[in-house]
Amino acid sequence: MNNNELFEKYDMPVEELFSRVDHNELESEKITAPRYSYWRSVFRVFFKKKANIVALSLLGIIVLLTYFYPVFFEYDKYANVLDAATKHLRPLAAMKLLGYNIHWILGTGASGNSTFDAIWYGARISVSLAFVCALINLTIGVVVGAIWGFSKKVDAVMMNVYNVIANIPYVLMISVLVMLFTASFWTMVFALTVTGWISVAYFIRTQVIIIRDREYNLASKCLGTSTPKIAMKNILPFMTSVIVTLAATEIPSYISYEVFLAYIGMGLTDMSLGRLIYEAESAMVTPGWEFEFWSPVAVSAIIAIVLYVVGQNLGDASDPRTHM
Amino acid sequence: MAKYLTKRILYSIFSVIAVVAIVMIMIYSLLDRNKVFANDSQYSKLSNNQRTTYCYQQWESYGYLDYVPYTDWLTAMVQAGELDEETRSSVASIGRTAENDSEEVAEYVAMFTEYYESQGYTVVRLDAVVAGKKLASGGTQTLFATKDIPLINRIISYFTDLFEFDNINYVEDDVGERGLTFTLYDPLYGGDTFSPAIIGNGTKHKYLLYFDNVFPYVHQNFVNINLGISYSVNSGVDVWQTMTQRQGSFAMRTVTYETGLTESSADNLHTATYLSGSQDATVVNAARYLDNYTNVSTFSAGRSKIGYSFVIGIIATIIAYVLGLPLGVLMARYKDGLLDKIGTMYIIFIIAVPSLAYIFLFKAIGGSVFGLPTTFNMESTSKLYYMLPIISLALPSIGSLMKWMRRYMIDQMNADYVKFARSGGLSETEIFSKHIMKNAAIPIIHGIPGSVLGALTGAIITERVYVVPGAGNLLTTAINAYDNGVIVGVTLFYAVLTVTSIILGDLLMSMVDPRISFTTKDR
Repeated sequence: MNNNELFEKYDMPVEELFSRVDHNELESEKITAPRYSYWRSVFRVFFKKKANIVALSLLGIIVLLTYFYPVFFEYDKYANVLDAATKHLRPLAAMKLLGYNIHWILGTGASGNSTFDAIWYGARISVSLAFVCALINLTIGVVVGAIWGFSKKVDAVMMNVYNVIANIPYVLMISVLVMLFTASFWTMVFALTVTGWISVAYFIRTQVIIIRDREYNLASKCLGTSTPKIAMKNILPFMTSVIVTLAATEIPSYISYEVFLAYIGMGLTDMSLGRLIYEAESAMVTPGWEFEFWSPVAVSAIIAIVLYVVGQNLGDASDPRTHM
Repeated sequence: MAKYLTKRILYSIFSVIAVVAIVMIMIYSLLDRNKVFANDSQYSKLSNNQRTTYCYQQWESYGYLDYVPYTDWLTAMVQAGELDEETRSSVASIGRTAENDSEEVAEYVAMFTEYYESQGYTVVRLDAVVAGKKLASGGTQTLFATKDIPLINRIISYFTDLFEFDNINYVEDDVGERGLTFTLYDPLYGGDTFSPAIIGNGTKHKYLLYFDNVFPYVHQNFVNINLGISYSVNSGVDVWQTMTQRQGSFAMRTVTYETGLTESSADNLHTATYLSGSQDATVVNAARYLDNYTNVSTFSAGRSKIGYSFVIGIIATIIAYVLGLPLGVLMARYKDGLLDKIGTMYIIFIIAVPSLAYIFLFKAIGGSVFGLPTTFNMESTSKLYYMLPIISLALPSIGSLMKWMRRYMIDQMNADYVKFARSGGLSETEIFSKHIMKNAAIPIIHGIPGSVLGALTGAIITERVYVVPGAGNLLTTAINAYDNGVIVGVTLFYAVLTVTSIILGDLLMSMVDPRISFTTKDR
């Protein structure tokens, strides 16, 4: 193959190897790196892991069951209460007696009620409680924590406030509030958030202090950037992954808390997962009744794990250092 | 250092006081005071006026208010010499209603009303409750004055009464020569065994210092802690005593009383306190004691609430550190290896699953697969009863220690000194054991006093699931029974422990790591 053939093949002029290109001021200013979008990168990294897709679809199923199942299926706890034969049945026995449908796949409870229905009615309250509490605590916590970390004067005051509030037993705080008002959903939210935000704020404060005095912030300050702008543009993006990771531990912890409070007899009066476990505690040791106890325990564990795994991996993915 | 420490301790005391004050304000001003009678059997037996007066008497004894019945006021007047006994008895009984009072009675009632109302009291007169012509049950007419004690006074008196110092003028009766006697031979051991003791006369406690064979072997009664009186959890007993008092059945032994009487009994004579007129009150006491120091507590076979919690908690803590730290180190050493993956899964399990769920899981597995006892039995001497509570407490702490140790190790692994050590030709094992581990252990060490002292407070869920008679359950039991005295006492106890463990943790950390100094400014 001679040179001429090569030139023709690659569509180049035969006479010369180099051609002159005009200099263009505008073109030379363009950066030819690939376009970077933060959130697109987050989701790219997140969906690269197969486990995340599994966890996310599980989360989808859970959300569907918690929020849509109760809408479409009526649940009456005392529908079968007069029929003694329907009480404490294993799944197979229940289906044989009451019909082969989704309601009875986890057997029946103490009043002949469907355990499966009860779980999703309970989960709706428990999951909502966890989300509402996490939202309130994270919002207040992040805002207060940012101010707390930035101002040294606020820090001196808040440290003492923290030392006092963190020492009040959480159980005590919640139970006094529950005793004062009735144990309704919003009382519970109030009780869990009235002091709950301070630990979030303390965590954020520590993070802010760590990055507040980094060189790039110092440089930004020297160039005359205002403090709110530093907070919003320099520090908040850095904190995104921290906040998402925090949310991943916070949300399951409220589900755990709700279960714990119901178990010690200070929980909601509404049917929640914790209350289901509390009411079915005696069934744990009774042979043949185990299903009505272990099903809500297992479901609350699954919900909490899935939320945690999705949150953690989203937190990892939202750290720009993993976007390479 | 001493200056810094004093400042820290002062700050801590302030924050403990603030915590207790907040809790007291919460429960005494926000909670309905009628709720304290929720579990009171006496209250439910009484009716009408009798129930009302009972309420006021109880509220007075729990510090809510000052309560003066009309008859008490008359008696006080007699003692002060302003009234003679004859008039007192004639005016003591008031009429069924105010209109039925005789002239003389009405005069004294008016005096009573005027005297107390001028001092800010509310005077309450409850007319007789009649059913037909007879008095209804508990329907006797009553007259009393009452005044709420301001919350601030209650908080102040709670802290001033916290430490009770025994002194030789404690007893008001005539007890002969008051004073302290020091003896090298404790009379309770027959008088010839060497055992130093200080015995008081006129003091509340008879034995102010003594030795015996029960932990901590030397006991003192000069200063006693007074955390507040329990109302329903352990009726009439101090919270501190409720927590430290031994439980279970009586431990009988041969006891030689002061009179020389020898009996098989559970009485612990060292705990004798003064009870006025008690020696002659019963034949039994007269046969046993030579003085009025007859109020003794008993030996019990079981441990105290704190004792159970501490034994279980401390063993669990030791197991957690012994297993959790090496596992965390190995996970970091072989990052992304098999052990790291399994360990991470375990950590996720512990963090995400509600603690109640996995404790039940451990209980079910331990009970059915390993055949371990699942409900605690105080009377049994078998150590097997401790197994499951200890495992249930240790497994979650192993998870969290693994998590933090791994985290700190990995953070250190990227440090410059590690790269330097590696370029200097040190082996990986050497770098890990000599350099990284020492630095990574510092934040872990900070938590050790917290976990040790935390063992004293007990674990709420574990103790409840396995029915352990420990201290962890005390707060929740008290809350459920509206026992305000116990709630405040336990809160104070918790707060003191937390604050102490933070200070101890800082001290320990500054001892281990010479770079950390709390005295210089540039730390």
